[in-house]
Amino acid sequence: MLALAAAVPAGARDHLQLFVSQPYLELHTGPGRGYPVAQVVARGEAVDVLMRRTEWFKVRTERGVEGWAYERDMLGTTLADGTPFTINLGDRAGFASHRWESGAFGGAYAGATLISAYQALSLTDNLKIELSASQYLGNLSNGYLIDFGFAHVFMPNWRLSPFVTLGGGYERVEPKATLAQPVSSSNQTAYVGLGVRYYLGRRLFLRGELRGHEVFTSQNSNEVKNEWKFGFAFFY
Amino acid sequence: MEIRVCILLLSLVALGCSGCSLFHRQAKPDQGAQADAAADAASDANAPPPSVIEPQVERRTVKVPTIRPSNIELGAYYGEISIQDFGAQPVAGVRLDYHISEDFFAEAVYGRAKGGYTSFEQLSDIQLLSDAERRFTYYNLSLGYNLLPGEVFIGRNLAMTSAFYVIGGLGSVRFAGDQNFTVNFGAGFRVLPTDWLALHIDVQDLVFRSDVTGVEELKNNLQATIGATVFF
Repeated sequence: MLALAAAVPAGARDHLQLFVSQPYLELHTGPGRGYPVAQVVARGEAVDVLMRRTEWFKVRTERGVEGWAYERDMLGTTLADGTPFTINLGDRAGFASHRWESGAFGGAYAGATLISAYQALSLTDNLKIELSASQYLGNLSNGYLIDFGFAHVFMPNWRLSPFVTLGGGYERVEPKATLAQPVSSSNQTAYVGLGVRYYLGRRLFLRGELRGHEVFTSQNSNEVKNEWKFGFAFFY
Repeated sequence: MEIRVCILLLSLVALGCSGCSLFHRQAKPDQGAQADAAADAASDANAPPPSVIEPQVERRTVKVPTIRPSNIELGAYYGEISIQDFGAQPVAGVRLDYHISEDFFAEAVYGRAKGGYTSFEQLSDIQLLSDAERRFTYYNLSLGYNLLPGEVFIGRNLAMTSAFYVIGGLGSVRFAGDQNFTVNFGAGFRVLPTDWLALHIDVQDLVFRSDVTGVEELKNNLQATIGATVFF
């Protein structure tokens, strides 16, 4: 088997092959800091990277032994052409500059209890496109919100970074049956808001936000509804 | 009216700031290009005359394999839920987990059960709820923490990674014709027979405020489930 594996040209490998450039690479029995080190790969030896789970890489040595290497230890390896292996670590630099983020919140919308989740795509480190879905549960009515808009983070490299949001959406109101004439309605909305993000560690951060919604109703005047929410989010 | 002015002003600020950041990003390659051009000009002056024989070797393009991330768990669970005042009933659901780090994971859950009959209904033959109103459906958005990661051993040759975790979150329960804001918390045990398969045992409490039995009070709905998930 080993002879067959060695005969495979480098361009046709199924897994990324890395070479240990530090004195050694420790392999743990599981993807966690507490799992014991069961193997050590010496400098100059190669490993195949099988998969990645959170901060851990599952690798296979040339002798066929498998184990988990920590991401910071993997920075001490090189590619076949000798260039250092680089990865996106989930740290402060990643908090400032990342592609995606998601989160879940609790809060209030026009006095009703709010549950919300969001997904954001970074166009730049400062500017993000956000999609959020929320459900609110009140004494008189329940409902849903779908919002789509932009968020601008002023200082993304700060641990506590403020941001503003702007966008529009859709509100679904379902009055409770205890009202005399419960009639569901759907309205378009526009919102503007501000908030802060606080980096906790690894890929995790806290996020709080205030939003003012202008609800475009079919009546003579529009409604203004305020929302606040607070929760956790993570980037990747 | 005021909020429209706010929207207008904030949109100008946001777009202005974003525009600045975009231009800032584009400036870097230009500076690099200028530096490269200067370096090329300097090297041209000292460059040897072009060689007569051009190498006819085609450069091989080596495709570097990508590393497969495996942080998402998707699966289902089944168990028993004790719906307060309405008896213990079977419950089933689906769960989606994302492992943020080796310590924390986010979870989204959707589950269904059906409430039984209160002792009052059993004794009096009076129905408090219709069949449709007895449907108990819920979802949760939670954050979990792997409190006690470890290994499970079966016999001499089989070791499986595992974790005892605590979890808590927010969600909503639809029951008795009403939608209720719900807080969920509990603990679970996850064991991985292989890298792609996980088995779960979970105990959670779903707490919400309801007046379905006449008095508004906190309803505790304890559930115990077993489940299986697949890592992607």
